[in-house]
Amino acid sequence: MSAFAEKTDVVIVGSGAAGSLMAAKLSKAGKKVIILEAGPERTLNDLISSQINARRLKWSGEPVQEKGAQPIGNVFNSGYGTGGSALHHYGVWPRLHTEDFNVKSLHGRSLDWPITYDDLRPYYDKIQQEVGISGDKASEIWRPEGDDYPLPPVPIFQQSEIIAKGFKNLGKRTSPLPLALNSRDYKGRPGCLWDGWCDAGCPTKALVNPLALYLPEAKKMGARVIHDATATRILTDNSGKKAVGVKYHTKEGIEVTQMADLVILAAFAVQNPRLLLNSADGGLANRSGLVGSYIMSHAAATVFGLFDQETEPYMGATGGQLLNQDSYDHKDQRDSGFGSYQWMIAQAVKPNDLLGFGGSNPALFGKKLTEFMKRAAQHFGGMTGCVEDLPLRENRVTLSADKDKFGMALASVAHTAHADSLALWQAAKAEGVEIFKAADAVQVWNGPLGPMHIMGGTIMGDDGEKSVTNSYGQCHDIDNLFIAGSGLFPTSGGVNPTFTVHALSLRSSEYIVKNWSSLT
Amino acid sequence: MVNLTPAQAKERKIPFQALNKDQAALIDHLGDAIVPGAKKVGLSHYIDHQLSAKHADNLLILRYLRVNPPFDGFYASSLTAFERAVTRKYNKNPSELTESEMTDFITIMMQKNPEGWNDAPPAPFFYFVLRSDAIDVTYGTMAAFDSLDIPYMAHIDPTQTWENIP
Repeated sequence: MSAFAEKTDVVIVGSGAAGSLMAAKLSKAGKKVIILEAGPERTLNDLISSQINARRLKWSGEPVQEKGAQPIGNVFNSGYGTGGSALHHYGVWPRLHTEDFNVKSLHGRSLDWPITYDDLRPYYDKIQQEVGISGDKASEIWRPEGDDYPLPPVPIFQQSEIIAKGFKNLGKRTSPLPLALNSRDYKGRPGCLWDGWCDAGCPTKALVNPLALYLPEAKKMGARVIHDATATRILTDNSGKKAVGVKYHTKEGIEVTQMADLVILAAFAVQNPRLLLNSADGGLANRSGLVGSYIMSHAAATVFGLFDQETEPYMGATGGQLLNQDSYDHKDQRDSGFGSYQWMIAQAVKPNDLLGFGGSNPALFGKKLTEFMKRAAQHFGGMTGCVEDLPLRENRVTLSADKDKFGMALASVAHTAHADSLALWQAAKAEGVEIFKAADAVQVWNGPLGPMHIMGGTIMGDDGEKSVTNSYGQCHDIDNLFIAGSGLFPTSGGVNPTFTVHALSLRSSEYIVKNWSSLT
Repeated sequence: MVNLTPAQAKERKIPFQALNKDQAALIDHLGDAIVPGAKKVGLSHYIDHQLSAKHADNLLILRYLRVNPPFDGFYASSLTAFERAVTRKYNKNPSELTESEMTDFITIMMQKNPEGWNDAPPAPFFYFVLRSDAIDVTYGTMAAFDSLDIPYMAHIDPTQTWENIP
């Protein structure tokens, strides 16, 4: 069964961080916007405080086949339903550094962005005012230029104080972690209660997920979100040079044709290339042959410890309380490997789940585990290194021979980290152990490599032969087809991507509004 | 409909839907040896309930671990391999192992496939999954937080969702 929907100005595939922000900005500019969300509708009332319920927010769409030595962890790192992965993100919002934008020019390896930090800086500044980031610019000495944070830093609990001593004893510095999480009431959204339930989604709106800010704004301006709507094909005119809409399937199995003047793919780093590759022989907007390539995922370097002192490990934010970026700039000056990393220090933890303290040391079982759980509940400490993943062309999304219920080929994702990224991860882990020892931890251990965030797959660049889009996410081959989100990143840096996703999406939105006539 | 926690479902002997009785007994036996207390709080009923749900509502940790649904076969084949490998090593059923024998066996299975462990996911992976399931049901509840002296601080109370077995 098929149906035709009334034509709209803009159709956006995906309701996550990028899709919801662009819907808000384009609706505000008077455009009729429809968002197609593959997953179910979620409301703030669905954000139940439980690490088990939190799994409901993660990817449960069509299976993604993962290959390679360091798979990207698609289910854990992606979202499904209203708000996408941003609904369960932890709100750690550092900026990329100046060096991240021109790694190839500076070091003769990796890739360059088609923009500089200075191009993006005004958008970081605008977004942080809209959203409300808590932090302390003065003590965040590594941060590139930009406005002061609009909110004071988040409070420090015992876990932070204890681990910070380790940094200090080794001559290293810490600052408050910049968090998109209200340290006090901000623009009608309340301050955080420091309960550590960020992974389960924040129903109070203290953490800026799409349900807290941009989706309500978009809806208020007339945007419509259609849930359980799986996009299966981007439609073009006969020339193949102009997008004319999107085909999608409803939960009931109806194939709907949604015509639009402009199409935005904001379905995250794996599903965007999957949709492009499924939309034409050889892939749509794929002159470069790079649709799907340069998939990246930060390697998480986890350090855990037990301390004699009580640490209150359940207090704070899931993302952490303090930051260290001493090993960020001058990517070629690491003792081992190449790239940047940061420490996110003193994450609030729960007993269970992949990131819970119960899972931190899988070798423990039986009575030893019981004793550990009791002690860790009051004496556990942890921090996570976010380690840069160098972009490799062969790390890519391709189409599987297996198909979903709509006849659309599944995504297959291969990812094996560069040897220098792995060496940097090893070095970070070793440094973390030294820091914990210097903080007088009575036991210290590392976790295995965990994939954190997904980036690349539809990278931006100046050259249509070497990238998929320009710096606005506009496809080189199709003027009115845009891509949004972390899939645009040519390099990963060593920071969490969501702030940059917002800044890029705001920049793209302004470009679309300004150039609407010529684009459509 | 009466909502029950896994512990209540166990207490009332609610029939299993996805597991058979033997599989449920093996899950409880091994799970409790790995995470003491898991059997009492209804580990087998928890896993059975999750396996019975449609994929989007299945909240087992396995969904994070690059195993595509359905998950029934993962547990069934692993439990068969477990029973076979125990019998091969000790010439006993798992329920007949002494505490020391079970400890020794778990120590092996968390590192490599014991002899006789075949036609199943790797033993260390199954150990990790079952351990995580058992920690979920034993330590992921409001009552368990309380027993560890951790303030739960819920924004939205979870008792009306995953813990409930109709």
